[in-house]
Formats: sequence, structure tokens, C-alpha cells
Amino acid sequence: MKRTGMILSAIAVGALLFSSCRKEPLNDMTEEESRIYVTNYDEQADFTTYKTFSIVDSVAVISNRDSKKELTDYDVKLLGNLKSSLQARGYTLVDKNAKPDLAVNVTRIDNAQSAIGYNPGWWTGWPGYWDTGYWGYPGWNYWFPGYYTVFRYNERSVAIDMVDLKNAPKENNQLSAIWNAMFRGTGVWNSGNLDSMTAAIFDQSPYLKASGN
Amino acid sequence: MKSIKTIILILIGSLGVSSAFAQSSSSRPPFSFNLNYSIAQPFGSLSDYASKTSFRGWQAGFQYALNDKLSLGAKVGFADFYERFPRAVYPGKGEDVSAVQTHTLQTIPILATVQYNFAGPEARVIPYGGLGIGTANMNYEKFWGEFVERENKWAFQVSPELGINVPFGKYSPVMLNANVQYNYAPFKVQEISNFNSIQANIGLKFHIQ
Repeated sequence: MKRTGMILSAIAVGALLFSSCRKEPLNDMTEEESRIYVTNYDEQADFTTYKTFSIVDSVAVISNRDSKKELTDYDVKLLGNLKSSLQARGYTLVDKNAKPDLAVNVTRIDNAQSAIGYNPGWWTGWPGYWDTGYWGYPGWNYWFPGYYTVFRYNERSVAIDMVDLKNAPKENNQLSAIWNAMFRGTGVWNSGNLDSMTAAIFDQSPYLKASGN
Repeated sequence: MKSIKTIILILIGSLGVSSAFAQSSSSRPPFSFNLNYSIAQPFGSLSDYASKTSFRGWQAGFQYALNDKLSLGAKVGFADFYERFPRAVYPGKGEDVSAVQTHTLQTIPILATVQYNFAGPEARVIPYGGLGIGTANMNYEKFWGEFVERENKWAFQVSPELGINVPFGKYSPVMLNANVQYNYAPFKVQEISNFNSIQANIGLKFHIQ
């Protein structure tokens, strides 16, 4: 009896140790550490051939429940940061009716109940995303290169899509995305984090500039 | 640290229980089991992935002595390798990801063992050599920020071992066990091309009826 008891308690102790031994990475992770900034780019694109851009006047908010356009304080700051960052890279901001070379779509994704697919640019097919008609191409679709990496989404994220309007009349009525950036993790919808997040996506995209030098 | 305390308490507790029914036979009963605390140091590509020494490990096993020198048995264990890297940009194909990466690997080896004692049962210190062969569950979890990339695989593992058993008195059925073991598993996942570690174990070995 004693032996059986000892063996059983040893097994129980083992199970206990096994479950409590692991160092859990999320336990001591700060919000800043939890965030990732992903940029994707078309490897064929020469970003210096584009000179002008236009950016949407509000932000598309996509969730499983509904979708809408918003212009909160956060959105104003985000759009402003993107404008000034692109201008700092030599691109000229123009009105969307002035035939810009590049269109910039901005989307906030609230995917608390994750049931959405994960193909590159899937959010462009979601109701509420920027219709191609906004850029003067009604009825067209957006196209993303297949190698764009999409990490599995949970909770909130931000997607910034840069679309090629200069070479728009391609086959299949598609507007090609040549650059995309995503903010993911805890606190990405917090405007206090916008400056560092915007800096990160432009710092890691040195090729994104209007002139070659 | 909490778990280390737990282990020590359990070892002390078990010692008390086992001394209570220890008997003075001329030799030890053939069946024994052991419980050890383990520290493991990664090497090679495992160290490139997560270089920090694992202080979160344990090992438990049992053995049946065929005679005074040779015994057969089995053991299981656990080790947790972990390292966090400061924010960096990781380039890919048409892609750059800025992230704080946390690399972790948990391993649970399940091994058949053979041990050979270099001294007789009456010795004050019994050095021995052993070999474990079996399988190990490898749980690879690489965190990009709070997002995890996970792969779980079983790998073949071989673990030679050198150690000593120090009986608490002549022919005592309870012994202090200390050993060093080398672990090798041909395990290929992402940046890890082989699993290599050196592990130190300390604990108690009990011979029971």
C-alpha cells in the first residue's frame, strides 16, 4: 500500500510540476512588446516612379458586426502622420481628383470574434472597405501579391494599403496594392502609440521614396 | 522559483516517509525510483534560438536492478528553454516585420534507460554510467510580440549520463543522486537544426520493496 501511495503521489507531483514549470511569455510582456509592425511590398515595384499620392478622408472601420467610416481624433492623427511621412519621403499630396500616382487606404479592423479569412488583403473584400469607385474605378477589385504575409488576426489591428493608380489599367479591372502596413497587438488603437508605430513602418521601408538618391 | 521550492519540500517529505519504513537488509530491494531537479544548458542551433540556461526542469524515473551492477528502467523529464530578444526588424520575402521575439521550447523526453554501477552496493559513493534512448515531445513556440508561431513534434532522443549515488548510510535504500547528462535529438524546426543540451540533475533515489 505504501509503495502504491508513493508512486501515485510521485505521478501527481510530476503532473503538478509539469504544468507549473513553464515560463509564460505573455505574463511579463508590456503593451509595447506585444505589438508587431508588418510591412509588405511588391518586389517588382520601383517606388521612385511614383511622385504623387492621395489619402482617404476618413478611416474604414471593419468588424464582424458592422462596418463604417469614421474620423475620430485617432484617425485624424493617423492620417496626418501618414501624410507627413510620405511627404518626408518626397511624395506630393494631391487631391484624389488630380490623378494621383498612389492611393492610400486606411482601415481599422476590429476582429474580436475571429471568423474572417486570412488571405492577403482579405479586408479589401469586406463591406465598408474603400470601394475602388472612390479612386475613380467603379466596379474594380483590389489585388494583393500572393506572398503577402498575413498573421492570424485577433482583436484590433490597423491596415494601411498603398494602391498603384499610375499603372491602373491592368487586366481584370484590378487595382494592385504595392505596399501594405499593419499595426497589430495590444494598444494599436491608442493614439498615444501612433507616432512610434508610424515611425516604425517607415523606418523599415527605406525603399519607399519618390527619388532614387 | 515557486516550483523549485515545491520540489525541495517534496524531496524532504519523501525522505521522511521512506526512512520510516527503511529496513536493514543486507542489500537493497531491486526496485527504485528517483526524482530530480534539472538545470539544462542549450548548445548549437538550440542555443542560437534560445541561449538561456533552463532552470525550469525536472526528471523522474524508475529502475529495476538485475544485479548489483546492472539495472533497467525508464524516465521522463521536462525542460523549458526561453529567451526574449529586443525589438528588431525581421526581413522576409517582400516583407519586413518589426517585433519583440520571444523564443521558447519545451521538451518532455520519455526514455528507456540502462545503468551500470562502477562500485558495489556497500560503497559509500556509487558512481555509475547510464544511457537513455527514446522519444521527446518538442513544443516550439516562437512569439512575434503577442502572436505565437507554434509547432509540436516528437523526436528521437538519446541521452548518455554519468553520475553518483550517495547512500544515506551503509545499505540505506535512500540515496542522493547527482548526474550530468547529454541530450541529443535530431529535431529540425525553423532555425533549430538539432536539439543539443547538457543537463545537470540532482535529487533522491529510493529503493522500495
